[in-house]
Amino acid sequence: MAKYSTDFTTQEMIVVAGSRTLEDNKVIFAGTGLPMVAITLAQLTHGPGIVPVFEAGAVGPELSRGLPLSVGDSRTTYRANYLLGLNSAFELTQRGFADIGFIGGAEIDPYGNLNSTMMGDFPDGYQKPKTRLPGSGGASDMACSCERTIIIMVHEPRRFNEKLNYITSPGYLDGSPNARWRAGHVGQGPYRVITTKAILGFDDETKRMKLIATLPGETVKSVQEATGFELIIPGDVYEFEPPTVEEIRLIREVIDPKGYFVKKKIKD
Amino acid sequence: MYWTGLSPDEARQYLANKDKSKRDKRMSLKEAVERFVKDGDNIGIAGFVNGRQPIAIVHEIIRQGRKDLTLSYQSAGLAIEYLAGAMVLDESKNSIKRMELAYWAHEAFGISPLFRYLAENSKVELEDWSNYNMSARFKAGSMGLPFIPCRSPLGSDMLQRNRAKVIDCPFTGRPIMLLPASHPNVALVHVQEADIYGNCRIQGPLYTCPEIAMASAHTIITCERLIEHEEMTRYPNRISIPFFAVDAVIEVPFGAYPGNCHGLYYFDEKHIPEFRAACEKFRKGDPGPLKKYYDTFIFGVENTAEFIDKIPFSQIQYVQKIESGIRLEAGYTVLG
Repeated sequence: MAKYSTDFTTQEMIVVAGSRTLEDNKVIFAGTGLPMVAITLAQLTHGPGIVPVFEAGAVGPELSRGLPLSVGDSRTTYRANYLLGLNSAFELTQRGFADIGFIGGAEIDPYGNLNSTMMGDFPDGYQKPKTRLPGSGGASDMACSCERTIIIMVHEPRRFNEKLNYITSPGYLDGSPNARWRAGHVGQGPYRVITTKAILGFDDETKRMKLIATLPGETVKSVQEATGFELIIPGDVYEFEPPTVEEIRLIREVIDPKGYFVKKKIKD
Repeated sequence: MYWTGLSPDEARQYLANKDKSKRDKRMSLKEAVERFVKDGDNIGIAGFVNGRQPIAIVHEIIRQGRKDLTLSYQSAGLAIEYLAGAMVLDESKNSIKRMELAYWAHEAFGISPLFRYLAENSKVELEDWSNYNMSARFKAGSMGLPFIPCRSPLGSDMLQRNRAKVIDCPFTGRPIMLLPASHPNVALVHVQEADIYGNCRIQGPLYTCPEIAMASAHTIITCERLIEHEEMTRYPNRISIPFFAVDAVIEVPFGAYPGNCHGLYYFDEKHIPEFRAACEKFRKGDPGPLKKYYDTFIFGVENTAEFIDKIPFSQIQYVQKIESGIRLEAGYTVLG
């Protein structure tokens, strides 16, 4: 049997890329949607020791009772090691127990700042946005106080902008030296941005987004064209390994058979 | 400082004058809403997104009609969507004036159509916070403190849209946020088990329910089942909300339906999308399906039992069957 899948969707690819980015034995604070799917996939493949934390209270559950449809639902609590509420979960991030915050957003800038609040004119048009988005939820707390963050995004030019409509979740802020420290953050900021087209990181000096790898079917050019600002393109950009048949089978048959998060288009 | 609900000093004074006796607090949901939910109130909405949301209480508020409400919550879904639906159908009967929130949508079930409608048409005043901010604000209220320090989200535009202050920490010298306490006039909380005095045993995630109840001037509790007081006090550590923080206790099985109630029923993956679709049609200009939904499931019934009567039994059985939470412990219930 072939090792690599040939009929995967971009959503499935993003889940696989997210999963492979997670190291075993780390505490991963999970945002809703694709992050939950990627964590489950990682647990079933290379990361059985991953400790998921859900903001509604569950710490270290087994995600084997069906895909949670909410970060606060019953399926997040199966064989949890600790279970209180939102305050206790976010206190863990401030104290330093959460290695990675795994979050999504609607719009991102070159410094990894995220918008999940509104599209439109801010601050003047705040009370009459063009599109109102759901709001921060816990993403901004994870972005500030988890040790690192991994961001998962649909890659479209309108979502990658030099300047955001609204900064909900801080990344490297304006990119100036020690901007996060000076703002009062305890976490180190964004580590990876995983999109439907690429794996991206941040330049150590400028804190601007850089390309690390292109996903199957994409090129440096196609990724840059889908990005509303100029990416740093280092010499060692590589092609990401395609999803394996087994990874795709796990997503379709075991983790999200009803297609709640994986097949769904993210709407604005 | 502009306080919504009670200021810390008012909240303290309110408790000083309150009857904190251990007395039977059972009453009808109708009476509880009549007595404790007023026009103009700041209402603390417990639960989290669509988990243990106080749906039964919200439906009763809608039937009675309340105006100019301020809603305070971290993340919510159905409870707010129902109140918003009532508002858009008849603003003279139900209306939301302001929301202090972190997130309003339905996660896997999609965004909130009526949040888009209300916000994009400037029909509601908004104050943006994070989940931890709102939870910590309730916690400050429950601790009897006027504010609580918090590390997030410093550097966010939310700070331009809310009443948080950033100071240099007097001990470390680094910036830190201070969040004002939240003291709602009334907390709406649904739990699995309560006794007749109001002691509550919550199963699964606590969300921010204990803090919301302790911070508020009044608390209405609906529970899946009333259990004997002796049963409740066998495990004092398991009591998440103590009786003297509670004003009314009503046994309402399925009081969080069509949302999830840990150990009893999972999300109704059929009913939630039906309601949401009606809201989306309203947003797109067709009020018909939403009106029909309210006439059928809220205005056309007297209470939650009659609402549940309208759902096919097989559907109810299914949400119980797929619930993965631990079934409730054995114990003597209070007979009706």
